[in-house]
Amino acid sequence: MKQVLYILITLMLFVSCDETVSDAKQENVQPQIYPDYLGVTIPVNIAPLNFCMADEKALLVDAVVSDRHGHSLHSQGKESVDFDLDDWHTLLGQNPGDSLSVTVSAKFDDGWHTYSPFSIYVSPDSIDYGICYRLIEPGYEVWSKMGIYERNLSTFDECALIENTQFQGCVNCHSFNRGNPADMSLHIRGPHGATLLRQDYGPVTAYNTKTDQTLGLCVYPYWHPSGHYIAYSTNTTRQLFHSAHPNRIEVFDEASDLQVYDVEKNELLLSPLLKQDSIYETYPVFSANGRSLYFCAARALPEGSHELDSIRYNLCRIDFDPTTGTFGDQIETIIDAVAQMKSVSFPRPSYDGRFLCYTLSDYGQFSIWHHEADLYLLDLSTGQSLPMTGANSEDTESFHNWSTNSRWLVLSSRRDDGLYTRPYFCHVDAKGIVSKAFMLPQRNPRRFYRERFFSFNVPDFITGPTRFDSHQASRVINDDYRKDFAVRYFK
Amino acid sequence: MKHLHLLYTLLFGVAVLLFFGLAYPHHLHYQEQYQLFLFDSTYVWDIVKVPGGVADLLGRFCTQFFLFAWVGAFIIAVLLSVVQLFVFRLFNGQWSMVNGQWFYGMTFVPSFLLWLFLLDENALLGGVWAVLLTLLAIWGCMLIPKGWVRRVAILIAIAILYWMALGGSHYHRYPTVTPYLLYAAWLSAVILILSEKVIVKSEKFAAANRTSDVFVRRQHCVPHSHLQVREIIRFSLLTVTFIIMMMIVWKNANFKAEKVMQYDFMACHQQWNRILATANAEKPNNQIGVTVQNLALAMHGMLADHLFEYNQNGLLGLLPDVQSDATSPIPTAEAFYQLGMINVAQRTVFEAQEAILDFQKSARCYKRLAQTNLINGSYEVARKYLTALQKTLFYREWANETLSLLGNEEAIAKHPEYGRLRQWAYKDEFYFSDHVTPEMLESLYFSNTDNRLALEYLRAYYMLTGDRESYTKLLQELRVKN
Repeated sequence: MKQVLYILITLMLFVSCDETVSDAKQENVQPQIYPDYLGVTIPVNIAPLNFCMADEKALLVDAVVSDRHGHSLHSQGKESVDFDLDDWHTLLGQNPGDSLSVTVSAKFDDGWHTYSPFSIYVSPDSIDYGICYRLIEPGYEVWSKMGIYERNLSTFDECALIENTQFQGCVNCHSFNRGNPADMSLHIRGPHGATLLRQDYGPVTAYNTKTDQTLGLCVYPYWHPSGHYIAYSTNTTRQLFHSAHPNRIEVFDEASDLQVYDVEKNELLLSPLLKQDSIYETYPVFSANGRSLYFCAARALPEGSHELDSIRYNLCRIDFDPTTGTFGDQIETIIDAVAQMKSVSFPRPSYDGRFLCYTLSDYGQFSIWHHEADLYLLDLSTGQSLPMTGANSEDTESFHNWSTNSRWLVLSSRRDDGLYTRPYFCHVDAKGIVSKAFMLPQRNPRRFYRERFFSFNVPDFITGPTRFDSHQASRVINDDYRKDFAVRYFK
Repeated sequence: MKHLHLLYTLLFGVAVLLFFGLAYPHHLHYQEQYQLFLFDSTYVWDIVKVPGGVADLLGRFCTQFFLFAWVGAFIIAVLLSVVQLFVFRLFNGQWSMVNGQWFYGMTFVPSFLLWLFLLDENALLGGVWAVLLTLLAIWGCMLIPKGWVRRVAILIAIAILYWMALGGSHYHRYPTVTPYLLYAAWLSAVILILSEKVIVKSEKFAAANRTSDVFVRRQHCVPHSHLQVREIIRFSLLTVTFIIMMMIVWKNANFKAEKVMQYDFMACHQQWNRILATANAEKPNNQIGVTVQNLALAMHGMLADHLFEYNQNGLLGLLPDVQSDATSPIPTAEAFYQLGMINVAQRTVFEAQEAILDFQKSARCYKRLAQTNLINGSYEVARKYLTALQKTLFYREWANETLSLLGNEEAIAKHPEYGRLRQWAYKDEFYFSDHVTPEMLESLYFSNTDNRLALEYLRAYYMLTGDRESYTKLLQELRVKN
C-alpha cells in the first residue's frame, strides 16, 4: 500500500514539475510571440501578459520575467505561459516606471531554443478597473447571440451585463459618463426596441427616443461631463456590399442629424445648425469642459446616388452652453479631412482636454469595415494632428475611448486576422507620445481569440463593476411601456 | 412468452428505424446541418452549465451522427425503444402484460408521442434525452429500498434532474414555440409510472390483481387452444394499435418539407445528376426545389435550353433575393458560390448561420465560410473556421486537408474547385444589395468567358423576365465574340 502511495506522490510531483530548459540553442533574435508584447508599455495594474509562441510547432514555451532588483517570475506551458496572478501583480507593483526583462525559451522537435530577451515598460499610470464591450459576430443585417459584457483588466474575469437571450432583439451602444458605470445609456433594437437609461446606479428606464421632429431613434450616445446631457445622433443607415473590394461592406447614412438630450427635463434639444438636410452630421461628443460639441459632418449625396466613396467627413465643433442647454450660432471646422481626400470618424477628446483621438479612413464614417482606417491624435492646444504610429497597424483601427486619467486608450483593431475586432491598449503620455499597442491579455490568448467567434464592439473603460441588474432590465425591455422624449427646438 | 414484450419493442424500434431511414432521412440531415458539435471542453461546459444542459448536450452529440441518415434513424429507434422499455419496467411490466393489452399498450404512449414530436424538423433530440434521463432517475430511485434513504435520494435526484434535463427549454429550435408533444410524452411517462404505483396499491385493484393471479393460475387449466386464441387476439390488438399509430405518424409527417430538404441535401453534396433525376420523376413546386433544379441544369449546361421544360418560379426560382432566415438562403448561396460570386455567397451563408434561431452554428456554413475566405485569400479567417471544424467528428479530415492549402497559392491555383472559382470571382468592383441584377451576371461572364455557368444564368434571367431586347443583344455580343 505504501509503495502505491509513494508512486502516486512521485507521479504527482512529476506531473506538476516544469521541464528544465537545458542545452538550449541561443538565438540572437527576439522571440516571435502571440500576442506581440515585445517592447510594449503596460499599466501597473494590468492582468498577466500571458503569451504563446507564434510558431505553433512549439512543444513548450518557457518565460522568465525579471526586474533590476533581482525579482523574477517564471512560467512554462504547452500552449501558453500562464503567470501566477498575485506574483505578477507583486512584480509589477515593485517596478512602476521601470522595465521588466522577459527571457523566452521554446522547445521544438530539435530541442530548446532561448531567444534574446525583450523588455516591457511598466508605466506608473494605472488603468481603469475594466472595460465594457459588446460581443457580436462581425455580421451584416442578421444577428445571433450577442450581449454587453464587462471585463476586469487586472484579472481575466468577464461577465455579462445583458444578453439577447433575455429578450428578442439586439443590444448596442452602451455608454457611460467618463467611465462611471453609475450613469449608463444602452440601446435595444428589434421588437422590444428602447433606449435604457440609468442614473446613479438606479433602476433602468426604457425610453422611446423617436419623436415627430427627428429622423428616428437616438444613436451613438456621449455623456456630458456634468451628467445632465447626452448627445446623440439620429441616422438613416443603409448597407451595400462590395463585389470584389477587400472591404466587404459599406455602411453609410442617407440622412443624419444631431441632438442633445436633457436628462433632467426629459427633453431633446434640437438646433437647425445640427439638422441640415444637405449635411450628414454624426458621432457627437462633448469636449472635456462640456462647452463644445465635436462631431463629424459630410456633404450629403444627391438622392439615389451611390457614390459612397465621395462621402467624406470633416471634424467640426459647435459651442454648447450647459447652463442653458443652448448651442452656438456657428460651426467651426477643426479638421478639414475632405481637403486631404480622407474622412474622420469616432472623435474622442481626452478627459483632461489635451488631445482628441479620431479615426481617419479613405471615405465614409463606418471605419470598422475599412482596412485602411488608422488612428490620429489631435493636440487641442496646437491644432497639430499626427498618426498614432505606435498604435496603428496594417489593418483596421477604428473605435476607441480614453481611460479616466487620459493616459490610456482602448482601441478596436482587426490586425489579428482582418475580420474579428480585438481590443488593444496604448499609452499616451503628456506630450502625446504614443506607445506600441498591446492586446487585451487572456489566460491562453491563442486559444481564446481563435476559438471566440465574436468581435469586441465599442470598448469603453469603466471605473468599477457596472452592477447592472439584468433581470430588472430584461423585465423593463419585455414590458411595453416606453417613456417618450419631449422636444425643445432652438430657432 | 415471458419476454414477448421485447419482441413488441423490437417491432416498434424497427418501425421507427424504417420510418426515419426510408421516409424521413432528409429531416435528419436538416437537423445535423444546423448544429456544430465540437469535442472541446469550452463548448461542452458552455452547454452543461445551464439547466437542462446535459440533455441538450447528449441530444447534440447524437445529432452529429444524423449526417448519415440510417445511423440517425437507428439512434432515434434505440432511444424511443429504451424509453418504452423503461416505462414498461417502471410500470411494473409483468403486471401490465397480465392485466391485458390496454395497460401494456400504454407503455408505448410516451415513445409514440416522442416520435410525433420528432416529426417537427425543429424539434431537438435533447428533448428525448430529457425524458430518458427522467426515467433513468426514477428507476435509480426505485432501486433504493423504501424508507428515508429513498426519500432523500428522490429529493437529490429532483435537484440533479432539474439541472440535467428539466431546467432548460432548449428542446425546440424556435424559442417561442412550446413543445407540447414533448411535454405530453414527459407527463404521460411520469403519470403512467405514478398511477401504476397508486392503482396497484389501492385495495380495489389489489383485489383485481388477486383475481388476476387466480386467473393466471387458472390459465394452466385452460385448454391450450383457448390460450392460443387469446394470444392471437392479443397480438391482433397490438397490431391494430401499431397500424393506427403508424397512420397517425404518417398523417402528421411533413413530406412536403422532406422533399424540399432532399433538394437542399442534394445541392449541399453537389449531386447534380440525382437532382435532375429527382426533378424528372416529379417536378419540384417549391422555391428551394426549383432553385436547386435550375442550378443542376446549369451545371450540366442545360439551363437556358431546357428552362421551360421544368417548373419555374420567375426569378424567385433562379436566384431569389436573400431572406433573413436560416433555411431558404442556403441553396441560393450554393448557386452564388458555383457561379463565382464569392462575396455574395459568403455574405449569404454568414447571414443564414446568424439566423439559426437557437444561436447554434452550422458545420455546413463553417465549411462554406472557410472555402470563401480561402478563395478570397483571407487565410487567417479561414483558419479560424477550419480550426473549429478540426474539433468535429466528421469534418475533421476535410478541415485538415483544407488547412494545408492555406497560403499555398500554387496548390489553390491547381485545385479543381478553388482554383476555378478564384479565376471566376469578380474583378470589377460594384455594390450589391439583396437583389441579383443581370449586370452582375454579365460582369461575371464577360470578365471570364470560361464561366459558362454565368452565361446559362444570364440567358435564363432574360428568358424568365421576358427581356427579349437584352437577350437578343446578348446573343449578338456572343456572336461577335465568337
